[in-house]
Amino acid sequence: MGNAALREIAAIEEIPIEELSGSVIAVDAHNWLYRYLTTTVKWTSTSAYTTADGEEVANLIGIVKGLPKFFEHDITPVMVFDGGPSDLKSDEIESRRAQRESYEEDLEVAREEGDPVAIARLESRTQRLTPTIQETSRELFDRLDVPVVEAPAEGEAQAAHIARRGDADYVGSEDYDALLFGAPLTVRQLTSSGDPELMDLDETLATHDLTHEQLIDAAILIGTDFNEGVSGIGPKTALSAIAEHGDLWSVLEARGDSIAHGDRIRALFRDPNVTDDYAFDPTIEPDVGAAREYVADWGVAESEVERGFERLEESIVQTGLDRWS
Amino acid sequence: MFKAIVSAATLSSTLDSVSVLVEECKIHLDEDGLQIRAVDPANVGMVDLSLSADAFESYEADGGLIGIDLSRLEDIAGMAETGQLVQLELDEETRKLQIQIDGLEYTLALIDPDSIRQEPDIPDLDLPAEVVLEGRDINRSVTAADMVSDHITLGVDDGEEYFYVDAEGDTDDVHLELTEEDLIDLQTGPAHSLFSLDYLKDMNKAIPTDAEVTLELGEEFPIKLHYGFAEGDGQVTYMLAPRIQSE
Repeated sequence: MGNAALREIAAIEEIPIEELSGSVIAVDAHNWLYRYLTTTVKWTSTSAYTTADGEEVANLIGIVKGLPKFFEHDITPVMVFDGGPSDLKSDEIESRRAQRESYEEDLEVAREEGDPVAIARLESRTQRLTPTIQETSRELFDRLDVPVVEAPAEGEAQAAHIARRGDADYVGSEDYDALLFGAPLTVRQLTSSGDPELMDLDETLATHDLTHEQLIDAAILIGTDFNEGVSGIGPKTALSAIAEHGDLWSVLEARGDSIAHGDRIRALFRDPNVTDDYAFDPTIEPDVGAAREYVADWGVAESEVERGFERLEESIVQTGLDRWS
Repeated sequence: MFKAIVSAATLSSTLDSVSVLVEECKIHLDEDGLQIRAVDPANVGMVDLSLSADAFESYEADGGLIGIDLSRLEDIAGMAETGQLVQLELDEETRKLQIQIDGLEYTLALIDPDSIRQEPDIPDLDLPAEVVLEGRDINRSVTAADMVSDHITLGVDDGEEYFYVDAEGDTDDVHLELTEEDLIDLQTGPAHSLFSLDYLKDMNKAIPTDAEVTLELGEEFPIKLHYGFAEGDGQVTYMLAPRIQSE
């Protein structure tokens, strides 16, 4: 997978989570949610999150388990949801569909090999959030006063855009693609129990003496979510080829290779479909009572969410004046 | 009935100290002056303002209640030059406010007071520490803290007898100590609370730099900031709920 190969290029360091205290993180919601969905589904009995009508709302448990990490460290998450495939042209949609199928094959392999990281990542790529999950996640975020931004297309690209405009301090995503979308600082492993990793775009570029455009070109050579990559080109080869020839086209020409829709894939990273039309209030005032009620109304077993709600209550940071009147 | 003439500066100060928290407010037009009380949508910051009839060139009212869009009225008041007078008159029939500034007539549509968020109850706070200082010292503290953080700690050292300001950023910190000599007055008591700079910055905008501001503080308690304007005929009290640090 091209995506993970970017790790070899990226400037990444582990940081104590306390360093993130007080910050705003634009989180790729799909990516974040899937991590908690898969662990919830894996570790919880199906009956704990299935309504009488058979609707599965494991996302509600996942959110209640995942949010305390932010709240307890005084971090404001801004959940950026994916939009539709938007204006991707039909052949690109076709190529993405083919890509999805190839993920599904990879997923089979990962399952056979029992690689949990690859499984979680591929599952999040191959599955879409159901309409119920889409709706109930937003409803629950709303009650917990967690800001939500709707991306016109890729949530990750929009999150990077928000961070570039200075409205968020970091992008939160497991995906190394965040670098390609231009996220200045990306926090990884927000969903794990250990310390997060900080991925720094400027440092990545400086280390390899690359421009952002060259980094994108190198990634396309290695392979991205949108293309297979050139066979035989790994991170090291890609970097030296870009250093030698300058850009994607010159490298391809020199090698006699080609990449279908290379220009469009490049444009997808260089000039992604994002919007300035978003607004959020980073001061979080969760109504934990309303959130509990909402989750209970969906028939979620209380025992699964009680600990999470307790943590959310303990970590409320801004009080209201009504507390004293 | 409401008919009044007031200096543009006094009108602007009045509106500005409320508009930092809310966009719309109710104004009580009492016989002896006007009263405004409002809380921001998140219920974190509150303002309680009174402007005595003495602050006006002329003032007549009999206990009416109007609802206004603050930025509209601020814009109109902004049309006046320094020192100009603004004449306000409520048309009871149309429920509109007639405003005159040097021949300019503006008819302002009022908002139904019932559609404006309910006025808050004022918290009954018995705060142990009191600090009296100049508006410029608040401005200095808030500006410095804002360079490093989104939050600011205000406290009083009970033993050493000084007022302090702390802000901790990711890399940089700000600390300020003001002893009794630097302050207008200090009554020590246990006080240490963390506040959102977003709110305090807004309140600071409304506080004149030469105003004498009284801060009342407690431990993890709301802060009260009180100051006078319009030569003491106007009184503003802000209340701001603390952030309680999570474990």
